[in-house]
Amino acid sequence: MLEGNAAAKAGGRAGGKMNQSPRVTTTAVQLEPYGYAMPPRRAHASLSLVGARDHRDVSDGDLSRGLIAGEGWAIAETWRRFAPMVLTMAQRSLGSKSEAEDIGQEVFYRVFRKAKALREPDSLRSFVYSFAVRALKSELRRRKMRAWLSFDAPEALVDVGSRTLDVESRDLLRKFHSLLDRLTARDRIVFVLRRMESMTVEEIASTMDLSLSTVKRSMAHSSNRLSRWIDADPGLAGFLDTERWGL
Amino acid sequence: MTTPPGEPPDSRALVSLTELGRTAVDQPTPTDLDRGLDTLLARIAAGKAHRRGLVHWSLVGVTAALAILAGLHFAYRSMWRLPAAEPPALAYQIEGGSVLESGYLRESGHGGIKLLFNEGSKFALTPGTRGWVRAIDKDGPRVAIERGTASCRVTPSRERRWLVEVGPFLVTVKGTVFTVSWDPLSEQFELRLKRGRVVVSGPVSGGDIALLAGQRLHVSLSKAETVITDENVANVENVENVENVENVENVENVENVENVDGVAGDTSGALAPPPQDSPAAQPSVEREPVERERPAGRSRSTVLAPSTTTKADVRDWSEALAGGHWDRILEDVKRAGLQATLDTASSEDLFVLATAARYRRRTEWARAALLAERRRFPDSPRALEALFLLGRVEESRERGASRAIAWYDEYLTHAPTGTFAAEALGRKLTLTSELEGPAQARTIAEDYLRRFPNGSYAGSARALRRVP
Repeated sequence: MLEGNAAAKAGGRAGGKMNQSPRVTTTAVQLEPYGYAMPPRRAHASLSLVGARDHRDVSDGDLSRGLIAGEGWAIAETWRRFAPMVLTMAQRSLGSKSEAEDIGQEVFYRVFRKAKALREPDSLRSFVYSFAVRALKSELRRRKMRAWLSFDAPEALVDVGSRTLDVESRDLLRKFHSLLDRLTARDRIVFVLRRMESMTVEEIASTMDLSLSTVKRSMAHSSNRLSRWIDADPGLAGFLDTERWGL
Repeated sequence: MTTPPGEPPDSRALVSLTELGRTAVDQPTPTDLDRGLDTLLARIAAGKAHRRGLVHWSLVGVTAALAILAGLHFAYRSMWRLPAAEPPALAYQIEGGSVLESGYLRESGHGGIKLLFNEGSKFALTPGTRGWVRAIDKDGPRVAIERGTASCRVTPSRERRWLVEVGPFLVTVKGTVFTVSWDPLSEQFELRLKRGRVVVSGPVSGGDIALLAGQRLHVSLSKAETVITDENVANVENVENVENVENVENVENVENVENVDGVAGDTSGALAPPPQDSPAAQPSVEREPVERERPAGRSRSTVLAPSTTTKADVRDWSEALAGGHWDRILEDVKRAGLQATLDTASSEDLFVLATAARYRRRTEWARAALLAERRRFPDSPRALEALFLLGRVEESRERGASRAIAWYDEYLTHAPTGTFAAEALGRKLTLTSELEGPAQARTIAEDYLRRFPNGSYAGSARALRRVP
């Protein structure tokens, strides 16, 4: 299993370097057309890496076709190409790196399983985005439901991964995310996509399958409410009222 | 990032917060991506999701079948009036840790431990809390908290009685939701009862204390002080309670009760001595009129305790801090004089003052308050936290990095598993790298990764470790 994974990973990562290691040793595994092996279907199957070509320059259309055909290299390359985008968007939306990683796993797993439903191979990017938005929406709704059902759960901390934020910034971030928690899942995602991911209204409408006017309304709604809540929170407004935060 | 053109502008505060939220997130590192890809490929190969779906629907089916069986059983019993069956044996699952043979709850990560009982009760121990499962028998379980904080939700049951040992206290629980904590260093016990009823026994005079929903019990053994606060009851109701008092020892208390929150700066309420008949080590003072329910056999009475309105209450700085009124706190200090405040303020007030001063960038005041905390209350938990915060304060002073490292070292020596241990070691790592170069910081990075592999500074530590 591990060897199979290594092969698929290398397909998206190593690229040209692998051309320098031409020695091939395989047992009981058929290599895919691009020289990478699919994850083994049997537990005892083992394989080694072979020389291969770099797929970084492959177009989204070809990548989609590779995915639809179930090719191993396409999985690794799709992850390499789109995972950063999905992971940062999820972390900005949820305020937690670990939850963002879970969402990333879910999104790409679904993308690979549903790749055959992709009608326009060139629109792989928005295909991935739409899965990410759907997964985020479900997660935010689930979170609200959990908060409603659970008892006095300890307050969640903002998990910024490797970032070395100071204590005050962490406090601010935590408060900010607690305000975002009060928005509906849709308003929150629209806000994040527009203000943090800098997506256009049209892109958001297309990704979220909403009309332009709904996106604009949702954006205005979330922005107004957040501003009002910040003003009503003396701790937050007071803290931001310092030179440090550029106000 | 500003508001895009053509859209109504966001408030400046919102723009700042959004920017912070945006920039706080780094692009995933190649290592993160590799790890994610490994997981994903393993998942695809194993087809876990498919199996999970199968399990999910199987569970739905089993649940539905059980619900039907339970309905039939209930109908059958109602019809034939069968005697109630024995309650099912109590079992529990543990998340975030494991139970050792002695019953000790060993935390496996840094996310605390959860005990989930099969009849719906839950115990959530916050990170760092030490506890045991003492016993689980047919009468009910007995859980112990040696140190730290636990949130508990106990499903009401006639058959079972839940006992929670918290330091030297014993909490007897019926169906209820509460949070309880014990700090052995400062010998402080606190219980906040959200719903239901509990009885607390322990080293307090006057016997067991029954708490009702919305009440908070705070016991400080070192100060011989017991405080019950009804967090939902307004002062007006407190005054009404006075009429029911059977055993009022001090009529002046009535005025003090009315004034507890009302008059800032009023210091008329003097600290009352503990009752003559109580041992000094047994806390026996209550500051608010509370309804104390006696155990069976005793008459139900409301006891108004002697007044102990302290300076700390009158200042009410904690509330000001929570409300963001830092300037009010600093104004109070200015009026009273910094030195006088440092010499007389309570441990909590010094801490609040330090926090307010830090937030307002009055680093000298913050430093002075934290040093006073260390000097005057060396054994309090706040004194430990002060060590870490002194490091933070030094960091914001000119050329204070090396002094900050010294404070972080001091904190890590005294509280190697304390609340701020990860942060202190992380800051030390960063400062050492800046001051002495990455090579000098590598040992600290390794130490950090060993102790906090998922900590906030783990990424920086890994990067430092790779530096030749």
